[in-house]
Amino acid sequence: MEKVEKTIEQIYEEAFKEIKFATDSESIKALSIRYLGRKGIITNFLRNISNLPPEKRPEVGKRVNEVKKSLDKAFKHALKRLETKPSQKDYRIDVSLPGRTIQQGSLHPITQITWQICEILEKIGFDIAEGPEVETDHYNFEALNIPKNHPARDMQDTFYISDNIVLRTHTSSIQVRIMEKLTPPVRVIAPGKVYRCDSDLTHTPMFHQVEGLMVDEGISFGDLKGILTTFIHHMFDEKTTLRFRPSFFPFTEPSAEVDILCVMCRGKGCRVCSHTGWLEVIGAGMVHPAVFENVGYDTTRYTGLAFGMGVERIAMLKYGIDDIRKFFENDSRFLRQF
Amino acid sequence: MKVSLSWLNDYIPIDKESYSNIADSLTMVGLEVDSVTDRYDYLDSVVVGRILNIKTHPNAEKLKVCDVDIGSRVIRIVCGAPNIYEDMVAPTALQGTRFPEGYVLKKGRIRNELSEGMLCSEAELGLGTDRSGVMILDQKQLTGNKLAKTLELSDMVFEIDLTPNRPDCLSIIGLAREIAALQQTTIKYPETLLSDSGDKISDLTSITIKAPDLCPRYSARLVFDINIAPSPFWLQDRLMSVGLRPINNIVDITNFVLMETGQPLHAFDFDRLSDHRIVVRQAKKGETFITLDKKKHLLTPDMLMICDGEKPVALAGIMGGHNSEVTESTTRVLIESAYFTPVGIRKTSKKLGISSESSHRFERGVDPGGIITALNRAAQLMSELDGSSLIKGIIDKYSKINNTGPITLNVEHTNRLLGISFDQDKIENLLKSIEFNVEKTGNDELAVVPPSFRVDIARPVDLMEEIARLSGYNNIPSTYPLIPAEARHPEKQLRLKNRVKRIMTGFGFTETINYSFINKLSCDRLRLESADQKRNMVDILNPLTEEQAVMRTSLIPGLLETIRRNIAQQIKSLRLFEVGKSYIGREKDNLPEEIEMLAGILTGSRTNASWYSKESDCNFFDIKGAVEGLLNRVKIDPIKFTCMPDNLCTYTRPGHTAQILQEKKLIGLAGEIHPQVLRNFDLKQAAFIFELDLKAISDLIPLTIRSKQIPKFPSISRDITIIINKDLESSKLSETIRKSGEKLIENLYLFDVFEGNTIPQNKKSISMRITYRSKHKTLEDDEVNYIHKNITDRLLKEFDALLPA
Repeated sequence: MEKVEKTIEQIYEEAFKEIKFATDSESIKALSIRYLGRKGIITNFLRNISNLPPEKRPEVGKRVNEVKKSLDKAFKHALKRLETKPSQKDYRIDVSLPGRTIQQGSLHPITQITWQICEILEKIGFDIAEGPEVETDHYNFEALNIPKNHPARDMQDTFYISDNIVLRTHTSSIQVRIMEKLTPPVRVIAPGKVYRCDSDLTHTPMFHQVEGLMVDEGISFGDLKGILTTFIHHMFDEKTTLRFRPSFFPFTEPSAEVDILCVMCRGKGCRVCSHTGWLEVIGAGMVHPAVFENVGYDTTRYTGLAFGMGVERIAMLKYGIDDIRKFFENDSRFLRQF
Repeated sequence: MKVSLSWLNDYIPIDKESYSNIADSLTMVGLEVDSVTDRYDYLDSVVVGRILNIKTHPNAEKLKVCDVDIGSRVIRIVCGAPNIYEDMVAPTALQGTRFPEGYVLKKGRIRNELSEGMLCSEAELGLGTDRSGVMILDQKQLTGNKLAKTLELSDMVFEIDLTPNRPDCLSIIGLAREIAALQQTTIKYPETLLSDSGDKISDLTSITIKAPDLCPRYSARLVFDINIAPSPFWLQDRLMSVGLRPINNIVDITNFVLMETGQPLHAFDFDRLSDHRIVVRQAKKGETFITLDKKKHLLTPDMLMICDGEKPVALAGIMGGHNSEVTESTTRVLIESAYFTPVGIRKTSKKLGISSESSHRFERGVDPGGIITALNRAAQLMSELDGSSLIKGIIDKYSKINNTGPITLNVEHTNRLLGISFDQDKIENLLKSIEFNVEKTGNDELAVVPPSFRVDIARPVDLMEEIARLSGYNNIPSTYPLIPAEARHPEKQLRLKNRVKRIMTGFGFTETINYSFINKLSCDRLRLESADQKRNMVDILNPLTEEQAVMRTSLIPGLLETIRRNIAQQIKSLRLFEVGKSYIGREKDNLPEEIEMLAGILTGSRTNASWYSKESDCNFFDIKGAVEGLLNRVKIDPIKFTCMPDNLCTYTRPGHTAQILQEKKLIGLAGEIHPQVLRNFDLKQAAFIFELDLKAISDLIPLTIRSKQIPKFPSISRDITIIINKDLESSKLSETIRKSGEKLIENLYLFDVFEGNTIPQNKKSISMRITYRSKHKTLEDDEVNYIHKNITDRLLKEFDALLPA
């Protein structure tokens, strides 16, 4: 009898140990059958209870039933616990295997820089506009105070379609189109493709510019400086100082070239800035009264500022690209870096 | 424009040591200094040498072979100079030296004797005129030292990139004026003291201007008894310092005065002028003319010619004639100093393709007030030549040249435009520093007369620029405009363009930007029919290359070229797109139609071989999927893909191309590139493309999105498999199903297409899953079964279809 009683406690203990070490639900199910199944250990034990003296039977029977209940609960509990575990048996995955590839595309660096430029200027309050790339001589030159047979025409090598039609040489061609449509205040930027017949390490026959134009009462050269300083500080960083140099564009007066402190050498002088410490990045100025006269704006009332920049130039500086032609070769190993 | 500090120093005191400051300040007043070099840099490889011994050349009587100590070692030099002696100290040029006369010294053999350098004469080194023998240096000079250092030769030369509005700075004096203003010193103009004598010029020659519009002023002087010879060294030296090569005394003087004053001059051989007179007239039709450089030009009547009594002798303001140029035997010259109208000069120069120092200045505008000064300056220099005499008097024919009267400058306007607060005095002083005549005409106003050489100043705003320029752009404070906080609506198409780019990259496509111009042969390469509107290409009159000769009418050629280049670099699987314009030509003198397009291209494998999948090639349905996905993202619905009639698109493969329709409107196409087109573009692997018209898409995008209720009631799905004719488009089935679904069809999903095996020939089996759902209630099985059966029956009837056995 002692023996039998001990045995039930032993069974109980062993069963718990086995439950504890089981690592998956399958083995719990198997254990459950082994102990509580129709031919299981506990069932067998109950069956053998009749071999005990009658007076002992109720006590042992009660204990066995308690054990049975308790094990049943433990099995259910373990099963629940293990079924929520994802792994099976001892199986483990090699997490260092490459993941399933997600096809990714990339935006052209020129698009990315154009967006950055526009985003900064939109914050300042400019709206975006676009215009034709094949343009009349009138909008590209004449209306911008660049008459035929003026030496200023030599400043840009022009692709001609006919005597009066050209591929626009600058996004400034949109200035007059915009002013013909709107009355001041005017605040517009115009990103887009421009064309010049020139091709070498730093020139491609097609490239991109962003033009800016702001016309209102009381716009000053100081405002031009303020806007471009803000722009450069956002585009590069606050340490990128600016330098304004007098220059000449027929459609602005005063005209300025805007240099920024070389972003490569920080002004120490390097190959990129031709050892001057400065990089020419923006052409700008106050809208020439002749341009206002061409669109019928009152020159005694309104003044305006205008600026234009080359997107490739800025992209080359931002990304450290040394050959402008790479932008249009579209080598996928180049494009996918951005 | 090149300028040397030594030359500038003739007019203003220049501190040689501070050349970089001068260069910087010039740049900061708008005269951009491109480079600063020492004009004696070419002497870098010329050192002090001492002749150790001299032997006669074994193969040449007149040559000697010398051993020359050049400090670091002894070299052998073959020399023909008569004045060399042992222990002589002389400038020794080493190999690589580029002499001012253009010759580059190379190591070599002279009559079979090695010669490693050259003992040089003064003239050869550009340091004097003596070429009779080797230049003798002080015996005390140390061998091996550089010659330039030994002789203290240094002269900085600025290369200035002048903007077209500043012709006044196309001269040494012009630049000296600017530097004088910067340094607040005064400029010393050259003094011209003329001693003319003898006959009166008016008795010897005459000038007739028959085209006063093109030549408002023409003046001349005569210099006789000239002995044509090399110029004095100081004159040669000045010219060489700015990169001009001396020719002879007369030509050099005209060039010198051109550089000094900016006024182009011309010297005619007076004895080669018929009737000894000058006529300024327009060319006659069909007239020809041979310029100094011996090139023959056909003239047109708009060109201005300087003629003698019978024929043209110069292309006015551009280039002299071969028939009247100064030669060795010239003894009498007529010096021309004139004003030619800029536009006329530019037209002729462009038309004939001749550009000269002279035309460059005339077309930008020379100083109308400097014509006589320059003439007298040249006359003076010529009269100072040995034996020459200046004929008495001057001929000066002239009609009025428009010059601007006083410009009224308002101080307050100036301050407002620039964002500064200068007073009247400050503005007055700034303008006076560059020789403007300024008068106060009120509390707030100035009357300003610019000097005659400032042909670019016409309006008050031009004066404001001068004020800003002289006080320094960088001293103007930065400010911010006060602007109303209003915004205009962004252009719909612009917004779409940016959105489409984002969506496409999300689909794994990489953005490309191809040139807008393509090869004209692209039309043939795309197999375009002669009537195809894509053949209406816009030609560029002056293309850089044949590859970039016409504006594209399709983005496809550019994308095909791009994949070809990438495949050549072993990148064989590509998913690319471009957003850009195509340009359809219209009648002459009309701007072309610019159509914004989106195009994509796929080639190579869809998936690479990997540990979880096999490599598979992409096909039509990959490109179609991209288009469907894109149109779905921008909410354009319904979209129909239907077979492109074979003759409508010549560059895609028949039977593998779909036209994309919204309602009945064609908005694009998707398909496989035609095998012949692949060959035409040197491609060996299949490529799949799509093209969409962004304007059309933009018009179709719904303005707003209305959200729908998420369904409350459960759905019921039923599958249907049906056997139809092989060439029937599955979309026809879908349309019929949707039409017969009593609005209860929520989704239709084609999950299997099967041909062959048990399916009869020319038939295919299509399986679809139809999901039914009502917005208002839970559907009963019976209800769905009824509709589903109706649909099945209708399909069987309408398409002559069968159910699977």
